[in-house]
Amino acid sequence: MEKGKKAKKEKLKLAIYWGAACGGCCVSVLDVHERLLEIVASADLVFWPLALDIKYKDVEEMPDGFIDVCLFNGAIRNSENELMAVLLRQKSKILVAYGSCAHMGGIPGLANFHDRDSIFERVYMDTESTINPEKITPRPRFEIPEGELELPAFYNDVLTLGSIACVDYYIPGCPPESERLMEVFRAIVSGAELPYKESVIGALDKSQCDECKRTKTDNKSVKKFYRPWEIEDDGETCFLEQGVLCMGPATRGGCGVRCIEGNAPCRGCYGPPPDVTDPGAKMMSAIATMVDSNDPEEINMILNSIEDIAGTFYRFSLPASILRRKVMEETNVD
Amino acid sequence: MKDSRIGVYICWCGNNIAKMVDVEQLAEEIGKLENVIISRDYKYMCSDPGQELVIKDIKEHQLDRIVVAACSPRIHELTFRKALENAGLNQYLLEMANIREHVSWVHTDREIATVKAADLIRAAIEKVSYHEPLEKLSVDIDPATLIIGGGVAGMSAALSIAEAGKQVYLLERDEKLGGHAADIDLSFPYLNSVASFLGPMIKRVSEHKHIKVYKGTTIEDIFGYIGNFETSIKPNGGGKEELKFGHIIVATGLKAYDPTPIENYAYGRIKDVITSSEFEQMLLSGKILTKQGKVPEHVAIIHCVGSRNNDTHEYCSRTCCTTALKYANQLRSALPDAGIYDLYADMRAFGKGCEELYTSTSGRNIMFLMFDPEKNLPVVSEAKQDEECEMIIRMEEKMSGENIEVPADLVILMTAMEARDDAKDISHIAGISMCGNNFYIEKHPKLDPVATTTDGVYIVGTCQGPKDIPESISQARAAAARVLAGILRGTVAVEVTTAVVNEDICCGCQTCISVCPYSAITFDEEKNVSEVNEVICKGCGSCGSACPTGAIRSRHYTDRQILSQIKGMLNRGKLKITQTIIEEA
Repeated sequence: MEKGKKAKKEKLKLAIYWGAACGGCCVSVLDVHERLLEIVASADLVFWPLALDIKYKDVEEMPDGFIDVCLFNGAIRNSENELMAVLLRQKSKILVAYGSCAHMGGIPGLANFHDRDSIFERVYMDTESTINPEKITPRPRFEIPEGELELPAFYNDVLTLGSIACVDYYIPGCPPESERLMEVFRAIVSGAELPYKESVIGALDKSQCDECKRTKTDNKSVKKFYRPWEIEDDGETCFLEQGVLCMGPATRGGCGVRCIEGNAPCRGCYGPPPDVTDPGAKMMSAIATMVDSNDPEEINMILNSIEDIAGTFYRFSLPASILRRKVMEETNVD
Repeated sequence: MKDSRIGVYICWCGNNIAKMVDVEQLAEEIGKLENVIISRDYKYMCSDPGQELVIKDIKEHQLDRIVVAACSPRIHELTFRKALENAGLNQYLLEMANIREHVSWVHTDREIATVKAADLIRAAIEKVSYHEPLEKLSVDIDPATLIIGGGVAGMSAALSIAEAGKQVYLLERDEKLGGHAADIDLSFPYLNSVASFLGPMIKRVSEHKHIKVYKGTTIEDIFGYIGNFETSIKPNGGGKEELKFGHIIVATGLKAYDPTPIENYAYGRIKDVITSSEFEQMLLSGKILTKQGKVPEHVAIIHCVGSRNNDTHEYCSRTCCTTALKYANQLRSALPDAGIYDLYADMRAFGKGCEELYTSTSGRNIMFLMFDPEKNLPVVSEAKQDEECEMIIRMEEKMSGENIEVPADLVILMTAMEARDDAKDISHIAGISMCGNNFYIEKHPKLDPVATTTDGVYIVGTCQGPKDIPESISQARAAAARVLAGILRGTVAVEVTTAVVNEDICCGCQTCISVCPYSAITFDEEKNVSEVNEVICKGCGSCGSACPTGAIRSRHYTDRQILSQIKGMLNRGKLKITQTIIEEA
């Protein structure tokens, strides 16, 4: 630093990492488009496998707390994810669970309705496109003449970031709305007072319905549940009142009701409002009150018209829910 | 668990709990749990010294939460809440574990019962740590009363309240007051004319300045809560009228059983088989004649028609036996030479003066014949041409064991009392529960016989179950006393373990509104949130579980409290008492 000149404010050190993720969260960072220039103007990207060639050992060599903010997206599905989660926690001042998978387990979390063996069975043996006569499945260690090879160990459970490392903030969404990311980023850069630890940021406390423009009444009585393509949506009436499952009431706003504005019901990626432990259970309770029948058989029929109950209600939240996973057979437990 | 200073009190209930639960070991083990400062067992927690124990400990050890493991909270929750208040602690910082009805009374293995009691107590300890102090609400009571039903019961209640100078709205669906009593000639056991007291009663009600009678008027809806009910009615199908009142007395009465389905009695097939109601009409007209206009030479009275039989009603209709005795007397006086046969199952002439009526009737040349109401109902058939009577009743006489034939020109069926067809509608309108046979259920069969589970709503007369005129009047006056006590008090404290909406979270989806059985939730268009009227809300929790946003909280039963309760129940690990059971399992 040259003498006499005013000390330039030090740039933030930003890291972005992916666990078990689809890549969409990283792309959502790029979705800020030209505002990326704003980001790099006040932050150095010190680690981002999607965009930069920085190795794990480089991260290991960073002093503890070297990274100011780490956006960790993706769930914890194998030993590599876990290792990196613990490492990045140690190296970061603020660890953010970024996106539905890091927040609640997300889509990969639906694998908790299965276990390692049944997933391997399906993926490496049964899929229609697989030819694997030797029945080879991934193993953490494998001997070859040149020595031992190592692969990350595949877990029975998909876990949330929060269950592995202490998370400072959660930014929900699949993926998070880029505008929300910018708001959070600007708040950090400006040195504004941050919300209390472990809170959800970049989202509203009120759920989707508060922003949703469709007309809503108390007449939510349903004789049959439809998948969106099965009915002609009038574009104006609450999806639930048309018998289409919409996770909107049990899902935080903040995304700008993107799906609903696009005439698709909310899938629940923004996670539950504060105080809700289990959004799937909450929404199922709500749906149960909408069933318009007192006859046990008809009730069964109406409920059976819901396609894929577990996948619908726990689409993004299974590992973070009270259910957490399908009950394991004793012999398969890790 | 939240840090707290919890006192746990385990009741022996004499031997009721102690014989099946090892209360002493339990108290010792529970005392080792986190946050439990005091853990005691005591012979009768509900007794004065038992309550004193709690009060003393709260003060001495600065306890801030209390768990009482005893009987059902329905019985003694209020008792212990008062004890907490007396000790200066908010009454809602109490949780009861029911180890009597849920444990000692229903188990036979002492070891397992003790473990279950420990589970329930741990659940209560976890839950109570999250209890919050709550303050009761007080609401004013509207001094007017709505009475539904203008029979003897409804009119008696109306007069009692009106005599105290309080306004009564009396609704009667028929065009006249008097109900079923108006169709009765003489009352039992003293055979006085019903009209002689009913006429003046109707007159007093009709002319009373504090009673407004609406005849030919039905009711479709009642809104509100104790102290502040309201409805709109259309008297005689005319213009709408709004009524406001603080209490409701339901006196909708009964209907007579239609005996057509009982084939043995040939009602509807043989025209001289008539019901007791039809016979009353005959008595009121002054002429006892067969359909052909002849004076009957043989008259048979059959008891328990529709009562005390599993195919019809299991219950006893209570008034028919004595009414039959009354008929026997009236018949003997009117037809001195006729054969009068009383076919009974059991002679239940209970009540003041009724057994005496039976004794005196026995001396008036009436033939009493007994049958088995479950196995062998008498069979009524038309007599052959050459017989001297119109009908023959074949029966197995139970006392003699002989099959006999009873001649009859007129058969009177003592039909049962049953709930009205519209009993269910009224139950919904007034918020009353019904028992299996559609009579209304009182709040407590012994301790609170005219109140219902809805505060401010009382049931009197035969809508609650079969009964005679004096019993109906007693109930009516009891309910009137309850209502007047409420009016005199002027305000009522309402339970605050209700639902509350967090307006910062509520998104206006309106899922909650239709699930509320008490219509306590309304939607505020302006704020785009639901609102719970805490005075109407009963805290049933339906809206809380329906609310997908977590905006509705059921006070005293929050998600956090219930989840911690479950956690406490499942977390057996630490207690020695549970080890053997776990090992065995």
